[in-house]
Amino acid sequence: MNSSRFNKFILLLVSISIITLVILGLRIGDIPTGFSDVYHAIFNYSENNLSELIIREIRLPRLCIAVISGAALSIAGMLMQTLFQNPLAGPYVLGINSGSSLTVALGLLSGMQFFNSELGLIGSALLGAFIFGLFILFTASFIRNQIGLLLFGVMLGSFVAAIITILEASSQAQSLKAFALWSMGSLNGVSIEQLPLISFVFIVGCIGTLLIVKPLNVLVLGEDECRLMGYNLKSLRLAIIFITALFTGLITAFCGPIAFVGLAVPNLTRMLFKTQNHLLLLLANMLFGAFFILSCDLIIQVLSDIILIPINALTSLVGAPFVIYILIRKLR
Amino acid sequence: MISFRKGSIGFDKSLFSVEEIEFARGGVHVLMGRNGIGKSAFLNTISGMINPIKGSPDFDGKALYKYTNKELSTKIAYVSSSPSGVPFLSVDAYLMLGRNQFTNLFGRGNASDNKAVIEAKQIFEIEHLSSKFTNELSSGELHLCAIAKAYVQQTDYILLDEPTSHLDYANKIKVYQLLEKLAETHNKGIIISTHDLDLAFKFPFNFYLIDSKHQQLKPIKDFKEVELEFKS
Repeated sequence: MNSSRFNKFILLLVSISIITLVILGLRIGDIPTGFSDVYHAIFNYSENNLSELIIREIRLPRLCIAVISGAALSIAGMLMQTLFQNPLAGPYVLGINSGSSLTVALGLLSGMQFFNSELGLIGSALLGAFIFGLFILFTASFIRNQIGLLLFGVMLGSFVAAIITILEASSQAQSLKAFALWSMGSLNGVSIEQLPLISFVFIVGCIGTLLIVKPLNVLVLGEDECRLMGYNLKSLRLAIIFITALFTGLITAFCGPIAFVGLAVPNLTRMLFKTQNHLLLLLANMLFGAFFILSCDLIIQVLSDIILIPINALTSLVGAPFVIYILIRKLR
Repeated sequence: MISFRKGSIGFDKSLFSVEEIEFARGGVHVLMGRNGIGKSAFLNTISGMINPIKGSPDFDGKALYKYTNKELSTKIAYVSSSPSGVPFLSVDAYLMLGRNQFTNLFGRGNASDNKAVIEAKQIFEIEHLSSKFTNELSSGELHLCAIAKAYVQQTDYILLDEPTSHLDYANKIKVYQLLEKLAETHNKGIIISTHDLDLAFKFPFNFYLIDSKHQQLKPIKDFKEVELEFKS
């Protein structure tokens, strides 16, 4: 039972790091604030104090969405990697994000007011993610090669990007502005009022994943084994795609595309914990994903005086070399 | 009892037909036949993975297609001819997956599940592999683990597609002896396909041949039939 003690130690360490990063994140920014401001902003808030206002209205929602987006995308990546039995799968590289981008673009650029509302945005993002998820699922049934599927996902992304460019070129200034704002994507776009809705969808996704932990463990053995163990493959696959789309659509709707987290973190946790137990992997991906985005956010905040780095650029900077590392290991 | 009457087997088109055949519990049933004749197709049909072209296998008096996946998984365990190893999946965790119908919502086993896994490891003499990852095993070791996994499932029937093909001679004998014992003491119905005929004939198994000339599956009464089949 040595390994289980090691696992607990690592998980505890990451949890402590997350708490530390959140506390640091609440303090660090353009306007210096002290620990007492942080304390007051959370437990004894007054709107008249500028420091407290910034902590509560800007930094707190940003850090919350950092934690949720990291956790959600990493769990989504874990689900896709198990579904396709492919370490190169992830919500971004397989184009689930692109699905959301496309439907959000169609909605916003149509100029209809509904799609610019919170519900319209999240609805169209989830729909796009789900449709593209089904599309990838269908494609994966005949592209059996792991790297082939990755290539397909990348091509899908380029294709959608081209369509969006054409849509942008032919739309009106007003709706173009709304879309441009959305597509820049960042952790700063979320307000504290939106957090309950986001948290709710996130928790639904987590509970959904928790309920399919057992079939996921069996799915690792392959689809035939899974069927022989008594599972209905079709509904299991649909459940996985649905939960993945829920997570990816949610985060894409509120933060725009965030690349590679969903690919890198699940690989990292599988390597670190050396397990196929999806209960442990679920917890590990949640914590490591949150830790990863929080770290990225900290770097962005620290460097913000010198240079403004979008979150998507930073995760790509770290994530893309990691994917290349896995590719080289596979191809060699 | 598994029975199959007036049926035909195949993936898209019929490979061979079955007049009437019965596999009773408490015995080991051995399917023989040349390469590509449809032994695997037959086992896949009995396990419910592919549909027969004609007819339906019957399990304990109820047609196979009337069982749900879940019910079937408690009745039959299936060991493929080439089980695949999975990175980071230890032999212990692999065997625990065999306890799937008994473990809790998150796949965690209780004391009796752990006991079953430990017992299986002793029977198949794979204790030393416990914490090894399944993708690091030799194909023979992996095959033994796969059979052990089918054993912990505690089903009435076990189907094994060429269980001895990856094993060394000593392990081939061990597996046949174990299968014989399992069938007798645990009253299991065991159906296997094999090319290790010389060895299998030394055991008191029931033999069946898929005759390539008449494309038919039938019990063997005279061993000359087998000789004829493999000589021609």
